[in-house]
Amino acid sequence: MKINDLLPAFITRHVLFALIFGGICGIGFILFLIEFDHYTSTEEFCTSCHSMELAAEPYRNSTHYKPKSGVRASCGDCHVSEGVLSATWDHVMGSKDLYNQIFGPDYDDPVVNALHLPEAAFSARKWFKKRNSATCKRCHVKQAIYGDRPDTLQIHLEDAKDKNCIECHYNLVHRIIPDEKVFKQDKWNAMIEEEFGLEKGSAQKILQH
Amino acid sequence: MNRSKHSFFHLLTVSSFVLLSHSVFAAKVTLEPSSWGLEEGKACVDCHAKSSAGLTHQWKNSAHAQANVNCLDCHQAYEDDADAIEHEGSVIATIVSPKDCGRCHTAELKQQQGSVHTKAVSIINNRMPALAEHFGSLSINDAGCAKCHGSKVIVRGDGTLDPSTWPNSGIGRINPDGSKGSCSACHGRHQFSKAQAREPAACTYCHSGPDSPDKSIYETSKHGMMYEAHKADMNMDSDSWVAGKDYSAAPTCVSCHMGAAGKMKSTHDVGMRDSWNLNEAVSTQQYLVIFADGEKRELSSSDPIPRKGESISKMDGTMGKVKAVASPKRRRAAMTKTCLECHSKNFANNAMKQFDEVVKLYNEKYGKPSRDIMQALYAENILTPLPFDEPVEISYWNLWHKGGTRARHGAAMGSPSDTWKGMADVGSLFYGKFLPQVRKVAGAEKGDALIKQYINESEHHQWLNHPAKANPILGYGKGSSNED
Repeated sequence: MKINDLLPAFITRHVLFALIFGGICGIGFILFLIEFDHYTSTEEFCTSCHSMELAAEPYRNSTHYKPKSGVRASCGDCHVSEGVLSATWDHVMGSKDLYNQIFGPDYDDPVVNALHLPEAAFSARKWFKKRNSATCKRCHVKQAIYGDRPDTLQIHLEDAKDKNCIECHYNLVHRIIPDEKVFKQDKWNAMIEEEFGLEKGSAQKILQH
Repeated sequence: MNRSKHSFFHLLTVSSFVLLSHSVFAAKVTLEPSSWGLEEGKACVDCHAKSSAGLTHQWKNSAHAQANVNCLDCHQAYEDDADAIEHEGSVIATIVSPKDCGRCHTAELKQQQGSVHTKAVSIINNRMPALAEHFGSLSINDAGCAKCHGSKVIVRGDGTLDPSTWPNSGIGRINPDGSKGSCSACHGRHQFSKAQAREPAACTYCHSGPDSPDKSIYETSKHGMMYEAHKADMNMDSDSWVAGKDYSAAPTCVSCHMGAAGKMKSTHDVGMRDSWNLNEAVSTQQYLVIFADGEKRELSSSDPIPRKGESISKMDGTMGKVKAVASPKRRRAAMTKTCLECHSKNFANNAMKQFDEVVKLYNEKYGKPSRDIMQALYAENILTPLPFDEPVEISYWNLWHKGGTRARHGAAMGSPSDTWKGMADVGSLFYGKFLPQVRKVAGAEKGDALIKQYINESEHHQWLNHPAKANPILGYGKGSSNED
């Protein structure tokens, strides 16, 4: 018996080869995406841009970097969605950061970086909120937040029932930045000027560049 | 002519002071109850009863809770407030300033904003760096001085409160909204109990220790003794708390310095009834100048006293139009009103006279000569301008600021032991350390000349000129045949 007898007539040998080849390529591509997403979510990859090294500094002092439990969340664990398609989409959208890194302001400069940090924080918070804090929930389960206070679990189950993580928990990992509603650019600029010993008013000029 | 003009002016200022005090001291909240109980703030306690149960429990036992004043009513903020933060979807501020409390408690705010308490930072602004930095460092300022005097709260660019300036509930705290003071200095949050604020402990939290020894003074006074024995009869929880009407067991600090007595209303302007300034090297009687905008300042009786309508500089250096001036005599009369609920006029006036005499004695015998000698030492560059680097400076500081304060406050509040302890400390320091140190630092010739000028020729120190006058107090003559 020939293999042709088992298949419908329209599947010719060439079609079969094409299918097998295409399938292998497809699997390869998916595997590639998985590996790509995996690699591009690591701290090592993210901090290969110097500007990200600046964002990583406070992260390395946070409880997400050195938790008592030893479960470390890397950049992508929080900032890249679960699932190969969503993760790939996030990376495609994230490539605009790469574009800005190359063609935008000099984020590698600590002053420029600090002055633009609030914009980044606001957009990251929106990202979390839009996704219902999905990446937080990879590790954190509302029903299992026992905490140090006797009522921590109760608060999460009752009072925070309809809320997602980012609505209450921000400023956990990176530099403290106020909520967008109460953010005051002039005060932020003044703080950065003082921190880096810059002339008063210079921050605004740097931002306009 | 001049004299009668002055008395007429005096009458004018006194009458405006009386008018003012009566119009200002009404303390009922006049807002409509619909002005509080914000809908958005009703749910706060659901979470806070779990996350900060103690605090919520205090609030639940408060008059605020009974009146449906919720967390957000006090903690609400506008987005552009300097210290506004986002919290669970609401814009709030951690610090509830007098301005916030004054949204409802308008009368108290008005009284408090002009009071000497709100100037607790500016009064010592020049002195504090020397004391805090020479004897400690910035950390002692943050955890010591500023805890009573108040910090200037700094909101950092990232919206957080500078930990060196917050937490702080010092009485003269400079708040991010520009208001001065902290209601919670006396009214512990979050219960804000009237009874608690009427307790002497509300005041002695700060008014204790070497530079403000009022706790020990009150406790060793007849008033303190009566309070201790009859605490249960003080009726502290009563809404109305008029001396002689609602209670008579004993006066607390509040009774005399702020409390209602007879027709005199209570006030949150704490220093209003003080006729002397007892916290300077030399005490002076002080006028109270009330400006058109409600601000106040003290003027020493030796300063030129302004008239109504004149413009003079306020504590912050800006000019203000004078609305009224209260003389030391008028302030004393206000203070004495409380006494009269329990004492006769003669009794009260004589007690005040005994107090005045101690202040005058301190001034003439120790305060003025030591001040003048120090000024001479500075003028002739015998001492460096830097404070506290020479032992005589430390002795001088302790002389007036510790012993001198204790003696004068002791006499003001009727503690015989502290009056004597303070004066004995001043005397021991003066003769035992200060004068020998003056002689040492200025050299024998110059030192002796200064001491001759300010001490030997003063009637208060004539006893030094009679070395042969014997007394057995230190054992002189014991065992000799002359012994009695």
